[in-house]
Amino acid sequence: MTTFSPRRTANLTRWNVVLLSRNRLAFFYAAVFPLLPLALLFTGDRGDEALGARTITTGFLVASLFTIYYNVLSQFVNRRDELVLKRMRTGEAREVELLVSIAMPGALSTLLVATIVVPLAAALGQPLPVNPLLYAVLVVLVIATFSAFAFWTAAWTRSAESAQLTSLPLILLASVGPMTSSIPGMSDALRELLSLTPGAAMSDLIRVGWFGLDGPDATATTLSFAETGSQAAEPLLVLAAWTVIALALARRSIRWEPRT
Amino acid sequence: MAIIQASRAPAAPTLSSSASAIEVRGLRRTYGRGPSAYEAVRGVDLEVAAGSITALLGTNGAGKTSTLEVIEGLAPATGGTVSVLGLDPVADRGTLRRRTGVLLQRSGFSGDLTVRETLRQWGGTLTAPRPVDEMLALLSLHERADVRMLALSGGEARRVEVACALMGSPELVILDEPTTGLDPESRRAVWRVVSDLRDGGATVLLTTHYLEEAEALADRLEIMHAGRIVRSGTPDEIAEGHPSTITFSGAEDLPRDLAGVTRIVRDHGRTTLETDALQRSLLDLLSWAQHHEITLEHLDARTASLEAVFLSIADGTEPGSPR
Repeated sequence: MTTFSPRRTANLTRWNVVLLSRNRLAFFYAAVFPLLPLALLFTGDRGDEALGARTITTGFLVASLFTIYYNVLSQFVNRRDELVLKRMRTGEAREVELLVSIAMPGALSTLLVATIVVPLAAALGQPLPVNPLLYAVLVVLVIATFSAFAFWTAAWTRSAESAQLTSLPLILLASVGPMTSSIPGMSDALRELLSLTPGAAMSDLIRVGWFGLDGPDATATTLSFAETGSQAAEPLLVLAAWTVIALALARRSIRWEPRT
Repeated sequence: MAIIQASRAPAAPTLSSSASAIEVRGLRRTYGRGPSAYEAVRGVDLEVAAGSITALLGTNGAGKTSTLEVIEGLAPATGGTVSVLGLDPVADRGTLRRRTGVLLQRSGFSGDLTVRETLRQWGGTLTAPRPVDEMLALLSLHERADVRMLALSGGEARRVEVACALMGSPELVILDEPTTGLDPESRRAVWRVVSDLRDGGATVLLTTHYLEEAEALADRLEIMHAGRIVRSGTPDEIAEGHPSTITFSGAEDLPRDLAGVTRIVRDHGRTTLETDALQRSLLDLLSWAQHHEITLEHLDARTASLEAVFLSIADGTEPGSPR
């Protein structure tokens, strides 16, 4: 019995990075696009923690939706339609290695952005993450969730062009929480419902784990390292639940060949 | 098309004297469910002797690729059993992949990689890959090594696929129409590569539409039609029992007692004599024509051919072949 091979996966990842670098638009989405929202850190009051949380949440949202989700979806659908995946499955590489290697360029780019943003934000007057462990868990869950959602979406995406349409529901689902969080006068029931979306959970984890903000209306750090743990339990559970759902959907629906 | 015996592969290894690399029993494969279900493979039995070349022939839609996909572990069987190198092609796929090379009927490449990069990418997934330059030379691709895949012709891309299938030095090679789209020279080159594989001890199972390819390469043929194997054996065994033919035009009133002739067919001014004694019939015919000073135009004499058997299976006139 063969096991997961890091060597094979690293080799495949390397070539997927090469391919990504040769596709200008895909490369822009994967490597440059998530950096753009961080420009907001240069605006407004330096050290405004609420603004910092919003900006970094936007950066993460863009990274999760474009660097990971849309990038993985289009790469997978392209290779499936070109029958590259069908051929690769005849070799020694295991299916999980093929999937991980397709997700890795987006994952690495997201990791890079998640790393760069810490000193960048600090240099622009924002605090360092109050709970770095929570921040690391958030990055890992975001990568796993949105990669898995991409493989699931690919199952009902006929072509790379139609991915522009089939990706919309997930983009909407992930964006609705962070986009509506600052709308005044929202009912508690609706706010509670929106907090169950993956984007809202991501936003809450950044507010609590990085900035130590206590509650949706807080504007300054008040939570200690220990307190962030208990405050983050609910959004962490929500995001973990989305991760499990996404992985289960992907596992059930992977298609390696185009529909005939 | 005359069968050139000299170009035929060496004597076929018999199943009784060799271990089987592939054993298929009662294989069935159905697409879809309910009333629209289509059974592409309907109870195939197949044995491929280790160290031999077996060609799976058949008309389009005969079930060849559906059969191969199950053997390759890419698709589950609906029924029956399949053993490849003594292992289950689905459950033991990880182990088998190190020992098998597969060429799909249709597959693809990332167009933005060059030929050399494509082989390096593939080699990086193998346990013991042959050097890239060796594969480029083997498939005459060295001059195209730094060309991106999207700029290759169909035949060149096919040769890259063959190179990938052979790069891991597999002991079992499954080739689904390996020479489709190749020019005659490239086709002969692939034939040499396939023959060398067998000579090196590998087992080869291939499908092809080219009957001369099957005759030149294969130790054993399996002819499929409508989801079943309808004839098996060496090329000689399969052609055995089928008449040789003499075809010509320009003579209408033939004597009825030409030696060995079993049937006379006339079609659009062309006459075909079917015979079980080609030399005697031909001699008799030529003597008669000379005696009557008749010119037999476009005279053509052929031994019993695989083509004749294949066509009779395809049109349902072969005894035992399903219509």
